This record gives sequence, structure tokens and C-alpha cells, in this order.
Amino acid sequence: MTAATAVLGYTLRACLPLRRWWLLALPCVGAVLFGLLARVSEDTPERAFAQVAALGLFALLIPIACLVIGDAVLGAEIRAGTFHFTWLSPAPVRTIVAGRWLGGWLVALVTLVPAVALSAVVAGSPQSAWAMVVATAAASAAYLGLFVLVGCVARRAAVWSLAIVFLIERLLGAALSGIAQLSPMWEGRAVFAGLAPGAQELERKGVPDGWAGVVRLAVITLATLALASWRLRHLRLTGASD
Amino acid sequence: MSDAALLPQDDPAFVADPTVEVADLSVWFGPKVALSELSCSFGPGVTGLLGPNGAGKTTLMRAITGLLGPNAGSVRVSGRNPRTDREVHRALALVPEDEAVPGVLTARQLVRYVSRLHGANDPAVVDGALETVGLLDVADRRVRGFSKGMRQRTKVAAALVTEPSILVLDEPLNGADPVQRAHLIALFRRLGSEGRTVIVSSHVLHEVERLAERQIVLLRGRLAAAGDHHAIRDAMADRPRRVLVRTAATRPLAAALLELDAVSSVSIDGDNLVVSSTRARDVAVALPRLARSVEARLEEVRPLDDSLESMFRELVR
Repeated sequence: MTAATAVLGYTLRACLPLRRWWLLALPCVGAVLFGLLARVSEDTPERAFAQVAALGLFALLIPIACLVIGDAVLGAEIRAGTFHFTWLSPAPVRTIVAGRWLGGWLVALVTLVPAVALSAVVAGSPQSAWAMVVATAAASAAYLGLFVLVGCVARRAAVWSLAIVFLIERLLGAALSGIAQLSPMWEGRAVFAGLAPGAQELERKGVPDGWAGVVRLAVITLATLALASWRLRHLRLTGASD
Repeated sequence: MSDAALLPQDDPAFVADPTVEVADLSVWFGPKVALSELSCSFGPGVTGLLGPNGAGKTTLMRAITGLLGPNAGSVRVSGRNPRTDREVHRALALVPEDEAVPGVLTARQLVRYVSRLHGANDPAVVDGALETVGLLDVADRRVRGFSKGMRQRTKVAAALVTEPSILVLDEPLNGADPVQRAHLIALFRRLGSEGRTVIVSSHVLHEVERLAERQIVLLRGRLAAAGDHHAIRDAMADRPRRVLVRTAATRPLAAALLELDAVSSVSIDGDNLVVSSTRARDVAVALPRLARSVEARLEEVRPLDDSLESMFRELVR
């Protein structure tokens, strides 16, 4: 337990310096601005916010905010050459991975989730806020698992993460429901579609929505964390200078 | 000269009671071979790991601590694989060469974090480690503002806080001022004398001579020599050693010396003679007699290449 809390505390304190918090503030502010944007639509507030959520929040701001956090909790540290302080310990690798992920998720829960809930309120659709909270919490959990995994696999984790979001999820996921089923972006949107009033038109055939989508995102989270643990055991830590 | 020819007969690359065993270890990064079929072992006491840049010292240290997996061969630490058995890390600590430290933490926070990862949570132990390296009075300052030497000592404190029985130090004296260097050398010697296995790499060779009773020399990823630096020098018996002789009567003494079978060559530089010999001991015995015979007064006689620096030069030649 000491090791797990140590990893969690270190993640919150050392992996997310002030600069990262400022970087994270941008998508959070952007989420609220998207809420304002929904107000200019002539549609009902629920439908207008659903469109903004689909195109602005799930497709852009949530992935970017999660990328900022997810890269910070592991990939950035491996690149910086300071990860050995954690790796060279008897703490199990799964504890390290889970601690890093949990630290990142807690940050998402206290920044991104309130921001998207506020976005719904600002859009004039407060009844969509709770669906947005559930969908964002579940999607950010899966995204952080994915980005922790990318941090273990690729040296340029941020670049690869962006490529996954915009090329694989956004482009391929739009065309292929098989990819959308495994995509935090599309699954998060489907969770919102199944739970929020006036968002049914966002539902997509073959992609589980509502609480089934939450379960799917939980499975994605667990799978990515398991893969990250396996990868971390086989990682060659060569140091920042190499 | 082959690698084997440099090794003394009883193979000093290995110790009788090893805690770290390296067997036929090869590590490569793409086309670059960093270590090639390296076999050696380390036991209690201080062992210096020497070699020019790119020799494979850091790679070996990272393989010993499990940060790098071998492409071939094996590393065993206390009989266990450091790559797969995380319990090894209870007794093993590394001070890496990299300057990188989590700059937003204070020295105390970093050392406490490492301590807690090892299951301990005693503030007195953390303070003890910081005091050992002389950082207790700045323990609550952020590491980001530390000098290179202070960062290095912070990493040493983070390694010591776990009370490791095997300590791997990659260039630990980098950036330290002379007082700190002396302090750290005394500390590492004390740790070695306590029965811990201390492996130290350094480019500051005269300090390694002071620090380590045993040295392992790597060249281009291979074992070049092992033992204390005198033993390594003896193992290089087929290479000439140079002795400086200062005298006013350079020419008559040079002529006399050249008649000795043991002398390979003599060069004259002002009042100095530089004598090359593969049997320096024979020259040392004969020199006073020859000096008397030519009525030369010997003002100074000293070996020119008995240091590790010269040993490097010989090995890489």
C-alpha cells in the first residue's frame, strides 16, 4: 500500500508541474466556450449541446486534455530520464502503472469533468450535464490507459498519441465501426448519446451506448493498463541522453 | 595484443564470492554493439569500472540494475535476474550518470519517495541519507535549483536511503567540488569496507585509484583488463614501461643503459632520460650500478606510466 500511495502522490506532485496545469486549462476553458457556442444554434438546447459535444468535446477537447495528462504521467518521464527512480524499486510494475493512471485520472476528474459539466450548463442544457460527466469520466479513463500504454511503447509518445486520435480514431473510426468500438472518442460519445436527453441522433450502429458503453470503456481501460504493465516489464531504459 | 593476454593467470575478472555475475553478456542498440560477450563478476568491496567514452560502462551498469535487458548472455544479482525479479531491487541501487532529476520535488521529497517505494516510511532514515551526503540543510529546496554536484549528491542520497547491499554508481563524482569529492570517496570506501558491493565508474582515474581496490577495464564493449592497477600493469608485461631518469650525465648513462638486454630504447630530453623496458625491475636493479660506473648523479627516477591514465593509453593504443 505504501508503494501504491507513493506512486500516486509522486504522479500528482512530480509528473504534473505547473506548466502542465496551464496547458490543461486551455481545453477546460475551451469546453466552456463550446458550451457558449451551442447557444447560438437555433435548435433546442439539448440537441444543440449534443452536436457541440460530439464535434467539439468528444472529438477534440477531451482527447487533447487527456493527452496532456496521459503523456505527463509516464511518457514524459521516460523521455526525461527520471523514470528509473520509480522503476528501480521492488514495487510491482502493475502498481506503478495503476498508480500513474489513477493519478492522471484524478486530475481529469477534477479538471476536465467539471469543465464539460459546466459546458452543458452554459449551453442551457443542464439536464445533459450528468450524462456528460459519466461519459467524460469513462472516456478519460480509457484515454489515459491508452496514453500510458503509448508512453511505454513509443519514445515520441505525444506525436504517436496525436496520430492515434486524429488518424485512427477520427478518420478510420468514422468509417469503420470496428475501430469505433475500441475508440474512447466514439465510445465516450456513444455513452453520452445513450444517457443524455436529445442526443439519440449521435447513437451509432454497432457501437454500444449508455451504460453498455461505460462497460466497454472500462474493458478498454483494463486492457490498455494490462498491456502497459507487460510492456513496462520489457522496456529498455536507456536514459535521457541516449 | 589479445584480451586474454592481458589477464593475469588466475582470471581476476571474477571474484570468489560474487554478488553480481555477468556471463557472456552482449547488448546492442540497432547496429551498434555496446557490450560484446562480456564475462566478469563483482563482490563485496569497491570495484572501479574504467574505460574511455563508449566503452560500455553505462550499458553494463544499466544491465546489472535491470534497466536494460541483455540481447545475449545473462546477468545475475544475488543469483536472481534483475530484469524479471523485482525483489532484487530491495538490495540494489543505482546512481545514474544522467543529471535528470524530478526538478519540482525537493531533495527530501525525492528521497522520501524512493524510501516509500521500498516500503519504508521513516523520516529519520530519509534525514540520515541526506545528512550523509551533506544536503540536510538544503533538503527542502527544490532540486531544480541545485548545482550539478548537489543533484548528484541527491541521487546518492536516494540510493543510500534504501540501505542497498549492492550500489552501482555511474560517474558519481561528476560536478562535485574537491571537498565533496573527498567526502564521497570516503563514503564509498566506507560502504565497501562494510561488505557492500560498490561498483563505481569514473573518468577521474586518479580518484578511482584512491577509491577502488579492484578495477575492471572495458574497451569497445569488451573486457580489456581486470585486477588492481598494479596487477593490470604486470599483466601487460609484454608492453614496454617507461621510466624517467634525471641526471646531468645523460649521454654516458644512456650509452650504458642501452647495453642492457632489458632496455628497449632510451631517449634524451635535456637532463632527462626516458628509458623504455619490458623488464622495468631489472632496469631498476641495474641503474644504480650503471650510474656509479659512469659517475652519473641520479637526481630523480620515477615511472612515467604507472597510473591508470597511462594504462588506458597503453590499452587503447
